[in-house]
This record gives sequence, C-alpha cells and structure tokens, in this order.
Amino acid sequence: MSPLNIERIDGVPVARVREDIDAANVLTTEQQLADALHPDASSLIIDLSDIRYVDSAGIDMLLRLSNRLDHRRAKLILVIPDGSQLKRLATIVGLPDALDIHPTLAAALHGKR
Amino acid sequence: MSTPGSYMSEERRGHLLNITDSALGYMSLEDTLCELLERIRSALEVDTAAVLLLDEDRGVLVARAARGLEEEVRQGVQVPLARGFAGRVAAEARPVIIDDLDHADVVNPILRQKGIRSMLGVPVHVERRIIGVMHIGTLVKRDFDEDDVMLLQLAADRAALAIDNARISEQRAVTAIMQRSLLPDALPEIPGTRFSAKYLPAGSGIKIGGDWYDVFQLSSGRLAFVIGDVVGRGVLAASVMSEIRTALRAYMMQGHGLTEVVSMLNELLVSTGRNRGATLSILALDPEAEELEAVSAGHLPPLLIEPDGDARLLEYKPGLPVGVRIGHDYEAFRYRFPTGSRLLLYTDGLIERRNESIDEGLRRLATAARAAAQRTDSSFADRVYRALLDETPLEDDVALLAIETMPLQDTLEMTLPARPNVLGGLRNTLGRWLKALGATEDELFDVAVCASEAATNAIEHAYGAREANFTVFCEYDDSRVVVTVRDIGRWRTTRPHGGGRGLQIMRTLLDSVKIESNEQGTVVMMTKTLSTRT
Repeated sequence: MSPLNIERIDGVPVARVREDIDAANVLTTEQQLADALHPDASSLIIDLSDIRYVDSAGIDMLLRLSNRLDHRRAKLILVIPDGSQLKRLATIVGLPDALDIHPTLAAALHGKR
Repeated sequence: MSTPGSYMSEERRGHLLNITDSALGYMSLEDTLCELLERIRSALEVDTAAVLLLDEDRGVLVARAARGLEEEVRQGVQVPLARGFAGRVAAEARPVIIDDLDHADVVNPILRQKGIRSMLGVPVHVERRIIGVMHIGTLVKRDFDEDDVMLLQLAADRAALAIDNARISEQRAVTAIMQRSLLPDALPEIPGTRFSAKYLPAGSGIKIGGDWYDVFQLSSGRLAFVIGDVVGRGVLAASVMSEIRTALRAYMMQGHGLTEVVSMLNELLVSTGRNRGATLSILALDPEAEELEAVSAGHLPPLLIEPDGDARLLEYKPGLPVGVRIGHDYEAFRYRFPTGSRLLLYTDGLIERRNESIDEGLRRLATAARAAAQRTDSSFADRVYRALLDETPLEDDVALLAIETMPLQDTLEMTLPARPNVLGGLRNTLGRWLKALGATEDELFDVAVCASEAATNAIEHAYGAREANFTVFCEYDDSRVVVTVRDIGRWRTTRPHGGGRGLQIMRTLLDSVKIESNEQGTVVMMTKTLSTRT
C-alpha cells in the first residue's frame, strides 16, 4: 500500500505518488486515485516526480484511468521529469501518445489554465 | 464435652515447618498446600483443614485445597468476602474462632453437612495483602487456644510464600512467552546485509521489562529497524510493547514516512489512555542509495561504525518518548551509510552502570564497538555484548540490534517468497549489484525493471500456492549480465503480467529474453551487455 498525497491546487486535484508502482500496490493505488476523482473536476494530475518506476500493470492502470476520465470529458495529466528513467520507459510504451505528460507540476497546472 | 487443645511439642512444630521448606522447591502449588494441610490436621489433631484463595476481581474466596473437606474444592465453593465464616476472617484480617457451628452464621453448606462443630480460621497474607484464608475444623466441640491460633497462623504464613511464588512463576512464564513471541521470528536474509541481535530480559524475580527490537523489509525495498523500551515491567509492559510493534509495522507497511509513523503511534498510545510511555528509535535504510533515515522518540542514539572502523553516535534531536503527550512534532534525520558500515541499536541496559554517567557508558560502548568491528567471528552484536556485560548479572533488560552492509559477490542467487512485496527489495539489491559492476544508470534501470517484470510473472503464476518461492540468479561475465528468474512447482497457465506489455518492455530494454515454460515451471533468461568503461 502506498498513501498518495492528494491536494487541490487551483481547484485541480493533484495526487502525488510517493512509492514506485508495482504489483505490491497497483490495486490500492488505483483505488485511491479513483477516490480522488472529484465529480465536477475536469482533470486529475498525477505527479510521478518522486518515483523511479511504474511497472507494466501500473501503466495499464494509468491508461484505464485515462479512459474513465475520457468518458466524463475529463483529462488525466501526468507529471514526469524530462530526462528521467521513467520518462524513457513511458516513451518506449507509447504513453505520450495517449496522455498529456508535463515535466513539472507547474507546467501541468499551467497547461490547465 | 470439649477437648482441650493438644500440646504441640517442639519436635512436631519443627516437623510441620520443615515440610514447607522442602516442598516449595519440588511440588506443585496444589500438592504443597495439600501436604501442608495434612500436616496441620495431624499436628493440631483436627478433622478438616482447608485453604481458600481470594479472587480480587470478583471479591470472593475460592476453595483451593482441602483435607477432610475435599468436597469444598470439588464443588468449587465460593464464599463472598465478609460473608460467612471465611469471609469474616478475610474481611477482618484476623483469626476467628467458632466454638459451636450451630450458633454461627456460615455460608458454606458443606461445613454443616460434614458435621463440623468447631472452627478456627486465620488470614493468609503476603506483606499487607490478604490473599486468602486457612481454616481448620473438628467434628467434636473444641476450645481452640492461643497456641492453636499461633501455629495455624505460622502454617498460613508458609502457605502464603508458596502461593506467592507460584503466582510469580506463572506471571514470569506468561511474560516470557509473550516477549519471545514479540520478537521477530528470524532476521531477514537479504544479500549484502547482515543482521545480528541479542535479547536478554533481566532474570531474577519479577523484573521483566519492556525492551524490544524489530526488523522488516518494506515493499519499497528499504529496510526498517526499530529498538524500544517501554516504561515499567511485567505483563502490562509486554502488552503495550506488543501494541507498539504491531502499530509500527502496520503504519510503515502502509508507506507512511518515519515522522508520520511516530506521530501516529504517539496519538494511538495517548488515546488509549495507557499512561505508559516508551522510548524508541525507528530507522529506514536504503542499501542501494546507501542512505539511512532516522527518527528518535527519546531513545539513546544509535552508534554508527564507518567502513574504516571509526565509531560515532548519530546526532539528532531526540524528540519526546511516545505515549506522553500529543501534538509533538518528530524530526527525521538522514545520514550516509556507505557499504561496509555498521549500525548498532541498543537499550540503556547495555551501558548503564551505577556510579557512572551516561556519557561514560557511551564511551565504553564506542570502544567496544570499534574493537568488535575488527573481527569477523561470531556476530557483531554478540561481541559488543560480551565486551560490555558478559558475566555481569543483569539489573535491567538488554536488547541489541546490529546491521551491516557488505559488498555483493559477482554472482547473486536469491530465493524469494512469491509475494508482491518482495519486488522492491529485489530491484534494490539488483541496483546495488549493477552499480558495483559499473553499469550506467540506464543499464541499471533496464535490468532491474525487467527482472521485476519477470519476477512479477513468477509471483502471479504462484497465486494461491502456499509458501511458494521463486529464484533469481544473476551472473556477470565478460561485460555480459545474465539474470535468470525461475519459478518452481506446478503453475496454472496465465496471461503474462501486464497483458503482454511487460514482455514488450523486456524485449525493448534488454539484449535478449528467452522464456521456457513446462510442467516443471517457467524459466526467464535475460541478458544485457554493459558498455565497457576504461
């Protein structure tokens, strides 16, 4: 299990992930992220700046979440620092084609305004 | 017609008293009491003798042993305090004589059924506490005199000792069992780390305290250590220790940071109103990052021994012991912990001595640790303990936990339980191994990530199988890294983890991936050639 830090910045829910996402916590992380979705929010920002790694099931989870938000006309936005290992992995699996990825939280929030 | 009380010869008195001395060591409490009652019956020439013990919680006296009146015990007779004959003796805390039962108020019907005519009862007490009543009775009317009272009281005093000793032994045994079950079953086996521990509760009397230690791996790959000391002794201290240990594990495994964990624990203890504080140190080690994080709640500072053998106490702000006051902020401190370092956690029983300041004790500790670090035979904790205490009788509990990290071998072989929470530790160990081999950050990430994917597969194959393990074998030869993940046993076939995405990642990041699957299990062999460095 890994508690997420969830706060609202400028009215946007931001979930900060504190531990690598792997089989040990992917289910509870998904549950916590789903709970963070506000009924009237138009987007959810997941900040992955603090972690090194998201496994294949975690990536599937993010895509699933993105689909869910799509149905509500909302966007899933990820924060992954440029040049990081996680960015490299995300690119390999084609994540940028499916989701908005910004290098910093500020950039992600800015992209919202 | 009444019979005058018999004259008790010195010899018979001596005989009566001797029996209790020898009995204490060898017989069960029941047998001791019965033997004693039998001797009293013959020495005082009475027909019945019995002992009732006080159940303080319920305020009743319960028949525990009897001679000539076995029915009392068999039928589980209970006499309320202050009621009836025995109740009066206990409530008034003095001998009571009944010359003629016909005219007396007795609660216990057995006494009348038996045909008892006269009775003498005395309180059984330990120090100032009444713990029971001893009484004797005759079937013919009798005038009990002062000699009889004195002798019965003497016998009751001896019985009191036996009863109290039995209670102490029982409490000690229960506490010892609790304490043993509170310590980790075995220290974890993680490549490149070594743990050693020593735990000695102070032995004599009821001096059983609240020291404990704990070690466990987190799903992030960090290792958590705890050492602590609950105020007070005995069963209550041990049960608070148990609560603390469980709560700390739960909070840590949920992924909370160290300061949060200690604050949450503090709130828990204060809210349960136990009024029993504890000091503790909790630390988390990242072996790959070679970093140590620590929070202390009023506990003595851990000792860090550097790879070159230099020993120093970790410096930090201690914070308040937990369970004292809420709203207290705890602070986490970080230290470098390069491979080859050692850490020693301990409780004050290890270093405190009368007529010596704590600082002197800490200096002795540092000296002992430096010397112990020179040698490699027997465990580090053991060597430190022997240097400081060895034959000295313990006045206080002692708990020690030592952690060392060592360089990894060129070949790594791990057998891991098929549970998802081992994945973080696997990545951490692989990261250390690859860094030592000179892999670049990209290469390190690639191999660790792919091994984790293959391991996740192995774990998912084992879903539902009890106590399943899988192995990870890592070799390095001529710049080429080979990692082989093997599951053992019969597996149900299942879709690869990540629905194929995992395999896609592995094939992209690695030089080669070979998967062989049959009834014996699945073998995944991964290779990556590291870029050579000059």
